[in-house]
Amino acid sequence: MDIVYAQPLKELLQISSYFKEQLIVLVKDEAGEKIAKKRELIPCFIVNEKTDLNKLKKKRKAVMGGSVKANEFATKIKADFLLQPSNEKQFFDLGLAKKLAENGTIVVLMFEELLGKNSFDRHLYWKNYLEIVRYCKKKKTKFVVASGCKEPLNLKPGKVRQSIAQTLGLTNEEAKKALEELK
Amino acid sequence: MKIEKKKKKTIPLSQRERKRYVLIEILNATIPEKDFYFGFWIELLGFFGSKGLAEINPRLVLYKDNKAIVKCARGRETELIAGLAFIKKIRNKKIILNPVVTSGTIKTVKEKAGFK
Repeated sequence: MDIVYAQPLKELLQISSYFKEQLIVLVKDEAGEKIAKKRELIPCFIVNEKTDLNKLKKKRKAVMGGSVKANEFATKIKADFLLQPSNEKQFFDLGLAKKLAENGTIVVLMFEELLGKNSFDRHLYWKNYLEIVRYCKKKKTKFVVASGCKEPLNLKPGKVRQSIAQTLGLTNEEAKKALEELK
Repeated sequence: MKIEKKKKKTIPLSQRERKRYVLIEILNATIPEKDFYFGFWIELLGFFGSKGLAEINPRLVLYKDNKAIVKCARGRETELIAGLAFIKKIRNKKIILNPVVTSGTIKTVKEKAGFK
């Protein structure tokens, strides 16, 4: 299972089926959800504080983290995924990891974000990710690495994402199990 | 004083450092061997640094039909595969590197790759 942003779904689907993986597609509205369902992909709504949550009951929800507010919002609504929980400044701590573990929220490192940075920022991001993984391991919060891209050629095979998670500090079994549980 | 020339001893096979072979498939573009090796090396060096790369010790063993067999130190294959994620382009050609199989012998990898 891999997580990507929507569009162009056709090419994304072609490459992911070559890798023998299913995609979770992040959509903003119901129109996006329809397109994803048509292509037999799993839709997941990106929500923020302005979104009407009453409409999205019993649907997968993901929150774009990176700020204190967004991270807290994810714990408040018990989101399924917390994407990119940090940016150049670290906003992730043990308390948040514990809350996420209790809610069953999966922390997602969107790899595309990391690739887009220059080497200096990449170093900061990587350092933050190492800390996040350490917190997640302590509190047993689920953690995965996803491609997180719109460009189909930037899709990363499962083996590569698993290896990145291992390089970040997860064991082989933990990294594999997290990818399998991502449904 | 007479200096005797000693014959260099070869390390017995059982005492040599173990290695792993990774079969990498290059998708989306055809790339010559030299370009692949250079692009591959630069990206890994950028991410792991000189020390990290020396520990991984990657070597291109065979390159044929857009498939490459890369040798590395045993226990470092996960780092090698993780490093592949950072390679987006080689010579301005967008590519995807797909690690197909990892093995301890080149024979198995060659069989999987379909090389004779």
